[in-house]
Parts: sequence; C-alpha cells; structure tokens
Amino acid sequence: MTTPFVYEAPRGIGIAGLEAAVLDAFHQLRDAVANGRAAIVIVRDRDLLGHGDPADAALANGLLGLVRAFATEGLREHWVVNMLAIEEGAEDAARRGWVERLSDPQGVVGALVRVGPLHLGRVPV
Amino acid sequence: MTAAAIITGGAGALGQSIASRLGGDLEALLLVDVDQQTLAPVADSIGADHVAVDLASDQAPDILSAALDERGWIPRVLVNNAGVNRDARISRMSDEDFATVVRVDLLAPARLALALGPRMPDGGSIVNVASRAAFGNFGQANYVAAKAGLIGLTRSLAIQWAPRVRVNAIAPGLVDTPMTAGMPENVLSRLIDRVPAGRMAQPDEIAEAVAFLASRAASYVTGQVLVACGGRSIAP
Repeated sequence: MTTPFVYEAPRGIGIAGLEAAVLDAFHQLRDAVANGRAAIVIVRDRDLLGHGDPADAALANGLLGLVRAFATEGLREHWVVNMLAIEEGAEDAARRGWVERLSDPQGVVGALVRVGPLHLGRVPV
Repeated sequence: MTAAAIITGGAGALGQSIASRLGGDLEALLLVDVDQQTLAPVADSIGADHVAVDLASDQAPDILSAALDERGWIPRVLVNNAGVNRDARISRMSDEDFATVVRVDLLAPARLALALGPRMPDGGSIVNVASRAAFGNFGQANYVAAKAGLIGLTRSLAIQWAPRVRVNAIAPGLVDTPMTAGMPENVLSRLIDRVPAGRMAQPDEIAEAVAFLASRAASYVTGQVLVACGGRSIAP
C-alpha cells in the first residue's frame, strides 16, 4: 500500500479565498488518485455543521462534495477517497489511526467519519 | 419601504417560475440575470423589475444593493437561483470549467447573501438553490463541490443571522427545463428511470417548495436543506 495523501482543509480563507482553495483541493486529489494513492480529506466537524465562519463552512462542505464526486467517479478505478472530520487538538494517534483505516484499499469509499460527539443530535451532512 | 424579493437566474425557466410564484406574496420583485435581452421580456411578462449583471463579477453585490436603494426597496427575500454547469470527467476537467462553476454557483450566492442579509428586516429569508447532486454525481465534480459548499454556507449563515433572518436551501433533482431538454434522450431516460416519482419535476413544483421556505409558513425552519428530487436521493 502506498503512502496515503492527506489533504487538510485550510481555515480562515475568507470568501475571497474559496475558489482557489477548492481548485487546489481538486488538483491535489486528482494527482493523488492518478498516482494510485488513497486520499483522505481532513476537516473540522464544526465547519461541516456551519458553527463558525461562512467560508470555512462552505469549504468543508464543498470538500465533502468533492470527496463524494471522486468516490462516485472512481468506483471502477478503485479510487480510495474519504473524509475525516476531527477537531483540532485531537490526539495524533487518533488521527493517524483513522487515516490508516480510511486508506485501506479494501475498505470504505466516499465515507465520512466524524470523530467526537459534535454530530450527535444534529442533522446528517 | 417596499419589501422586495430578489431572484437571481430570473430569465431561466426555474427563475421565472419562482418569480411568478413569489409575486403574489411580496410587494416587489427584482429579477437578476446576466443577459439583458432575455431578462427584460421575462420581467415585463410577470410585472417585475430587473437588473442585468454578471453575478460572477466582484461588483455584482454593490450593483444590486444600489438598484434596491434607487427604488426605495428593502430586501425581504433573496433566492440565489442562478447557476451554471460545465460537466466533464475528473481526468478531463479544465481549470477554467472548474473555477467558473465554483465562482457562479458558490461564490456569487455567498457574496450576494453577505451583502443583502445584513440589510434584511426581521423575518427576512434567503433560499439557496443547491442540488441533489451535492450528495455526489458522476462527471460533475465542480458542480457537486459548489452545491455542497452552498449547503455549508446556508448552515453557517442560518446560525449567524438567527433569529432575524432565516437561511435555507433547496436541493432539486431533475427539473424539466431547456437544460435537461438538451440532454441526449437515452441519457435522460436512464436518469428518469432512477427517480421513484418516475418523472422530472416541473419548474412550478420546485417554485412551490422555494415559496414555502421563503414564506412565514416556514417561520420555524432555518439552516435546512429541502431535498425535492422525486425520491432519487433515497432510491436503491
């Protein structure tokens, strides 16, 4: 198994930085899958829920869309693209463990794993 | 001050239906689209005013704010309906096509909402027209990312502006418009086969859902996505 590619969503980009950020993520994910690497996108769960800056929320959810689009389109080529929503300050071991699980070529695709309790009692995303 | 609804993409089939439906609920309608020649007759036909502007330009929010001021109108409803698509497989998608869709379908509604939301009165309502495709679609990575981003924006603004202004999204599936009519018949037929309702939506059906979210009937609904896809998003 090759080293997975990990894309961590930038924060504080503002609306003006949104286009460049989404396009950059698209390039990096496309390069990763073209090179046979699993790609894991990391965002904060609170940004998925919209608990903060509008641009951060738009980017986190846009990246989730991108993950699902790559997963849909890459089914035949067995692209492994998933998302991990985890809060800043989470233990490195937890992050590494989830990245490893989500990179398994025999595992899930287009999946979102939300680490932490923030999603409980809230809408699915 | 006159309470107005601003509807972007007003010259298109869905924009026209939304405007016609909202016309009975509000004192004034302002249709917005990029092409003056197609927009003006549509606006005239439903007794609306109009402004032709490229929503992808940085100046668009200021132009529309000034247009409201000139008329003495206050924005009570904003429907961010304008959108484009530039479909291609991921491996073949150009940067220009990717960026254009993100700019029009995500940045433009974001900028407009941020410009007009603070000017809305208590009870103001924003409806963002997203798409069922936001949950994932083949050959539309740009569109999927933009519409999913629009849903994220909807949640964040709903929290920021509650309780004064409600912000919701609608996620239509296939809608019977000139855009879908231009698809190859066999492709369209396969897509319709996946819809439990067995057909595309008519624009006025989506307009009804938009009108509900915009109205006081939805006064306790904010930050939500109404998926109007004929059941496609739950189909096997």
